[in-house]
Amino acid sequence: MRRNPGLWYALPLIVAMLLFFAAPMVIVVWYSLMPPRSFALTTDIGLQNYRSAFADGYGRPLMWSLLGAALTTLITAVLAWPTAKILHRHTGRWASLVTALIALPIFISESVRLFGLSVFLMPGGGILAGTLNALFDVQIGTILNTRLAALVGMIYIHFPFMLFPLLLGVAMIPADRIEAARDLGASSWAVLREVELPLAAPGLLVGGLLTFVLCLGANAEAAILGGRAVTVITATIEQRFNYAQDWPMGAALTVLVIVVTAALVFPAVRRIDLNRMLRR
Amino acid sequence: MALPPPALTLTGLTKRFGSKTAVDDISLDIRDGEFFTIVGPSGSGKSSLVRLLAGLDTPTTGRLHLRGTDITEVPANRRPTAMVFQSLALFDHRSVGQNIEFAMKMKGVPQAERRARALDLLRLVRLPEDYYPRPVTQCSGGERQRVALARALGSDPEILFFDEPLSAIDYRLRKTLEVELKELHQRTGKTFIYITHSLEEAMVMSDRIAIMRTGRFEQIGTPDEIYRRPNSRFVASFMGEVNILEISRTKGTPHFADLDLPAPQAPGAFAVLRPEALSPGAGEGPSFDALVTQKLMLGSRTQFHLRAGNTALIAEVAAGPRSALEVGQTARFGFDPADIAWVDS
Amino acid sequence: MSGGRHILWLKVIWVGTVVTALYLPIVSVILASLANTRYMRFPHRVWTLDAYRAAAADYTTVTLHMISLQIALCVVLVSVLLGTIGAMAYARYDWKGRSLFQRLIVLPIFFPQPVLGLALLLSMSALGIAPSWKTAVVAHAVWIVPIVTLVISIRLFGYDVAQEEAAFDLGASRWQVAREITLPALWPGIFSGALFAFLLSWSNLPLSVYTSGADTPLPLWLFSRTATNYSPLVPAIAVIGTFVSGLIVLLLLAVRQLLARRT
Repeated sequence: MRRNPGLWYALPLIVAMLLFFAAPMVIVVWYSLMPPRSFALTTDIGLQNYRSAFADGYGRPLMWSLLGAALTTLITAVLAWPTAKILHRHTGRWASLVTALIALPIFISESVRLFGLSVFLMPGGGILAGTLNALFDVQIGTILNTRLAALVGMIYIHFPFMLFPLLLGVAMIPADRIEAARDLGASSWAVLREVELPLAAPGLLVGGLLTFVLCLGANAEAAILGGRAVTVITATIEQRFNYAQDWPMGAALTVLVIVVTAALVFPAVRRIDLNRMLRR
Repeated sequence: MALPPPALTLTGLTKRFGSKTAVDDISLDIRDGEFFTIVGPSGSGKSSLVRLLAGLDTPTTGRLHLRGTDITEVPANRRPTAMVFQSLALFDHRSVGQNIEFAMKMKGVPQAERRARALDLLRLVRLPEDYYPRPVTQCSGGERQRVALARALGSDPEILFFDEPLSAIDYRLRKTLEVELKELHQRTGKTFIYITHSLEEAMVMSDRIAIMRTGRFEQIGTPDEIYRRPNSRFVASFMGEVNILEISRTKGTPHFADLDLPAPQAPGAFAVLRPEALSPGAGEGPSFDALVTQKLMLGSRTQFHLRAGNTALIAEVAAGPRSALEVGQTARFGFDPADIAWVDS
Repeated sequence: MSGGRHILWLKVIWVGTVVTALYLPIVSVILASLANTRYMRFPHRVWTLDAYRAAAADYTTVTLHMISLQIALCVVLVSVLLGTIGAMAYARYDWKGRSLFQRLIVLPIFFPQPVLGLALLLSMSALGIAPSWKTAVVAHAVWIVPIVTLVISIRLFGYDVAQEEAAFDLGASRWQVAREITLPALWPGIFSGALFAFLLSWSNLPLSVYTSGADTPLPLWLFSRTATNYSPLVPAIAVIGTFVSGLIVLLLLAVRQLLARRT
């Protein structure tokens, strides 16, 4: 118990992450610098793929992905905040049951859940449309195969990823601070802005970051619910790899996504003290 | 009659962490069966010292002998000593009984014997026997203290170490446990080495007290010696509120600088005067006029905060006619020079 | 107070709506599986378990489950092993590079999963390794190991390290300290970590898309069959797959109960 073996314990994880996380990033960057449609890694490097990435209209799917991720993050945050507040305020059997119920779907594959959402929204014989038709003789249309449907799917899938970090964040607000603020004459809005949001900020940041980044890579929502209405960046990348057989171009687009992610994640991770959030 | 051999002998014990010296060349004999307390502020090195004694750390230099045997290199798990930790360090995933039996289990003592001994120990620390199967997580603060004590006693140690185990306990429970610990010491006859930052706690229980400061012992003595004859302002201030009067020798004869009173026989640079040594009314000793700035009722005594010239002083008087002074009044206060403890630094 | 009651009702309605919204699609899958027509016409004219019979008879069902199970169990093993060791560095010891380590180790969690899968695919093919369920294990593990590390760390943060010193002081050897104190105290964290690892791997789609090669895990098969070639077999297998994972979780919980009773 004398020497401090922290580094030795860290070593296996560090090695694994270097091999399977850092090294692949380097290889993707390398591929992205290869001439178009080559499959081998050589020293013949150049920036032509990035030039065409900006010239050939690949900006659009990237923009859709960014917009979708931003909207999803915003909307899930607004939906998750009151939910987190309620779940935190009320402890006991019901609250734990509800929390468990909300957590459970995370562990059901998103392909299953998105498929369920699509049969629910399906026009004519879908679960919703069919039920309304049979019970009330009401015919409704559908939002399926629109951008809105894809957005709904993203919100649906990513809601728990926002909620649970936010729950940790809300738990960092001591109840007496809110009472103190009230006692000093703050309105509900002022309490939210001046006390609750700053104190819960780490949770909000983690949840927001997680949601945004997962949405940036999301593909299944657009594929299953969005139909052909929207092409997201991951779909474009996949298309470059599989159908166009242009690996370097796909890699260049991948690098763009990585850069956007890193630009968001690095500063945030530097600021977040996960230690403090977990340590209670 | 020959003195019994010392239970523990420290010779030039030193512990450095990088450039910081936590324990600085300490030599000391601790007698068999003694209740020895080390008192110091946080950062004084008292915890580092007790970890050396328990074998949880090895000293940078110096030796440690247990009844004449060198145990400097013996690790904690092979020393016949046991520690009660500041956090208590109870095994939270185990029951009260399993905690108490831990050391016996490690030695391979059979189950039935362990159980019988654990029940004995429960009685010794005044816990009901039906606590045996209870999870320690269900025990209250005071009960956890007793379990920790019983667990340490379960290894049948020659020496018990205590690293501030009562620091997180509320005042009244602490007082009770102090008395129980003292009784337990008398009953078991074992050597107790106790660490605390409270001199008051040390006074109640100890045979001898060492005051520790920046890795060294400032003073070692019985509670009475420490109380009556502190050898420095540091030790004196550790006792709580005291008056420390500087002696000036600039005008030929020594005098109390702040009170402008002569101090004919002043063997030190500072006079330490306990609050109860200062009382209203002029006696045979020196006296001075002082303004009462604050009056605090302490129960059986009354505390007066005084101002004489630019000097703030504290006096404590037994409740009675002499404590009738009120804030704003000026009265004469005096003291007996024999009550002064003289210190040089 | 009537205002308080109002607010309570609002809260109940809100939470009820959230839970309902989360479960509607899942219920829809079950409803869809009870048909026998290739095209959904709800309410079904015939309610039937035909699709389940077909799924039970179809060897694909078994293959899909075996592949997913294989991947998930390997991921559990790897992530519990690396996660437990990693959590020691994350939460147990205070060492020089810890703060940096803590920040870097969570990066894979905050990373788009298909991009991670793609990067691995490219690296594998650069090294001449064909993607299979084994490469999928690697992809899953890169994302899941950090999560399991955090889960076990939560347990370690609440753990008084002095317990180990106390045991050592009471005569335990290093090995006995690990067996009697450290592992039992960490066990609940390790168990939840294993549970997380299993469920996250079992249900993961985006990491498998590029990395699993010819071995199709359950979620990937469901994803491709919803887009093309739909039949009630798809929702039936989705329900079976979810049910099986629930069963495995219950089995693990039962094993833990048994182990807990023995000590």
